[in-house]
Amino acid sequence: MGYTLDFGAILSGEHLRWLISGLRLTLELTLSSWVLALVLGVILVLLRSSGIKPAEWFVTAYVEVHQNVPLLVQVLFWYFAVPELLPEAGRIWLNERNSEFLLVMLALSFCFAAYMSEALRSGMRAIPQTQHEAGRALGFGYLRTMQYVVIPQAARLAIPPLINYSLLLFKNTSLAMAIGVHELTTQTRQIENDTFRTFEAFTVSTVLYLMISFVIMAGGALLERRIKREGR
Amino acid sequence: MIFFESVDKFYGSHRCLTRITAHVAKGEVVVICGPSGSGKTTLIRTVNGLEPIRSGRIVVNGQDVHAPKADINRLRREIGFVFQQFNLFPHMTVLDNVSLAPRKLRGLPREQAEEEARALLARVGLAEKANVYPGQLSGGQSQRVAIARALAMSPPVILFDEPTSALDPEMVGEVLAVMRDLAGSGITMVCVTHEMGFAREVADRVWFMDSGVILEDASPEEFFVAPRHPRARRFLADLRHA
Amino acid sequence: MLDILREYWLLFLVGQYPNGPLGGLVATLLVAICGLGLALPCAMAIALGRISPYMPVRIAAAFVVHTVRGTPFLMVIFWSYFGLPILLGRPINGFVTLVGALVLYESAYLAEAIRAGIEALPRGQREAARALGLNYWQTMGLVILPQALFNALPSLLTQFVSLIKETSLGYVISVNEFTFAAAQVNNQLLTKPVQVFSILALTFFAVCFTLTQTARRLERIVARRRNGMAKDGEPTALLATEPTP
Repeated sequence: MGYTLDFGAILSGEHLRWLISGLRLTLELTLSSWVLALVLGVILVLLRSSGIKPAEWFVTAYVEVHQNVPLLVQVLFWYFAVPELLPEAGRIWLNERNSEFLLVMLALSFCFAAYMSEALRSGMRAIPQTQHEAGRALGFGYLRTMQYVVIPQAARLAIPPLINYSLLLFKNTSLAMAIGVHELTTQTRQIENDTFRTFEAFTVSTVLYLMISFVIMAGGALLERRIKREGR
Repeated sequence: MIFFESVDKFYGSHRCLTRITAHVAKGEVVVICGPSGSGKTTLIRTVNGLEPIRSGRIVVNGQDVHAPKADINRLRREIGFVFQQFNLFPHMTVLDNVSLAPRKLRGLPREQAEEEARALLARVGLAEKANVYPGQLSGGQSQRVAIARALAMSPPVILFDEPTSALDPEMVGEVLAVMRDLAGSGITMVCVTHEMGFAREVADRVWFMDSGVILEDASPEEFFVAPRHPRARRFLADLRHA
Repeated sequence: MLDILREYWLLFLVGQYPNGPLGGLVATLLVAICGLGLALPCAMAIALGRISPYMPVRIAAAFVVHTVRGTPFLMVIFWSYFGLPILLGRPINGFVTLVGALVLYESAYLAEAIRAGIEALPRGQREAARALGLNYWQTMGLVILPQALFNALPSLLTQFVSLIKETSLGYVISVNEFTFAAAQVNNQLLTKPVQVFSILALTFFAVCFTLTQTARRLERIVARRRNGMAKDGEPTALLATEPTP
């Protein structure tokens, strides 16, 4: 009791600027990791269905490792261990730059690439072989059959889990706090330390996180509905 | 025993029961037939409140089923219901399926409930299946267990919703035999079915339904020999050709 | 790597125990098990709320689920860290904070797994129970939940793996768990981060991969059992068990 809420201290002046810069960094981290994760995910799927045995084993191992080790541990590994594995020149290059951001982005991308490749693969596997045969019987080549018949159907099945993983990717950018990247969570703690307005600071940033999450969820729901209307 | 008083039911704007007024006397066996989509399944499901109604009254054993203050769970104990898809509980043995309601609703001790359940299973010819899970039964056996389960609370009324429609042809007979036996026991029975042989032999009355209306309410002799309504005539002719 | 293990295995395993608080891998597993045990009843309540016949209850449950799903786990930890002492009216230690956060967060995810298990059951199951005269709670307790929980078993185990992985965030609020222990060792050695974090990652992998494989095997068993049982009733869809980071 006797505690009066005061959001003014957080939503003004310097603290507001901290908040906005944190939010911007969170969004940049989300977007760049998302793009890289999707590209890597597609490469992993292609490798896995390449028919080259060692490549398939590598992808299987890659996926299992990234799914069964906590993401935070992966982030810490990238931050503490990976630079040690680089040659001298690489380490210097990293030290001269904003390496925390780069390393956490790579950690997020490599991890979510595993999840996204699995989502894509389960979509592909759900398309019966007969669809492939039907395409080939019409006279389409392998790539054309993929393009016109298989991929459009597979994408439809893969989109719901992909949206789910995009949301999780966004939420997990907060792990960047563990290695001192000044994204939204870190900035929130800084503001809290500066103002002692714990409740207000965490309310504001939770609401910010929720708003973006809801945009992703709503966008996903909309996309799913449109796909359902198009097909069948 | 069962009174329908100008019962109306809608699905959205579609009217699926139109001013149904009818009654089933104590101990009577009524068979409801009619083309699919005629509302017969809907009608039988309103009797134990599985389907709500828009207006009218349904009185079973002196109690208004759809009255706002009705204790529907208590009423349902007095109304046995057999589903087309059996709906046995797959995680319980046959014996537990049959003894569940007496144990949980009448508070019978386990031994007594199981003894009664065994007697019912013997009555439907499945005494040896007591400790088996429903997944290991054939369709005909499943439906006989479902009938035993419906009888476990000794209801004065039992309702059948197309009890043989989900069965392979060779299993229809065993289920009808149990129902025939039941019909002779004095219980009130309402049965939605396409088994016209059963209707002819066992029913006291036949209701013919189409488009949510009972078009004909007649004794089996009248209905099968000289149906009055043209649609009933066409229905019977179609059945003969099928 | 082996000499680090030889020197520090006890720290990795139990932290400072018995001379200090319990920590390390044992603490991680203990926190995860407590979290799961306390989250399950909450999850069942939320799942029932999600499919409640009463609209306000449905809305409230959906609100809880979506809010939690939209919030980073780290934020939930901070809410637990600052909020729980106020709620309980006394200071709490890191373990309670972490368990509290896990319960809050995982209840929502487990609830969705249980709800999927309930919704995969044929409608006839509930109707048959109601037709016998069982009331809502008897129907749920005797007929629906036992089947739904069995069907959801693989998803629940997969979610338990997520729970184990999430305990690593205790590191951020300095809870003495496995990740924190590794960081301590790393600080003592200073020059061997690759080895220390490899030990950390490999151990997590061994634990989580074993459980993930068990969940997959369980999924096949459940699918087979359900196909055997599904003779009566509509064919039932398989529950997808998606892992999450």
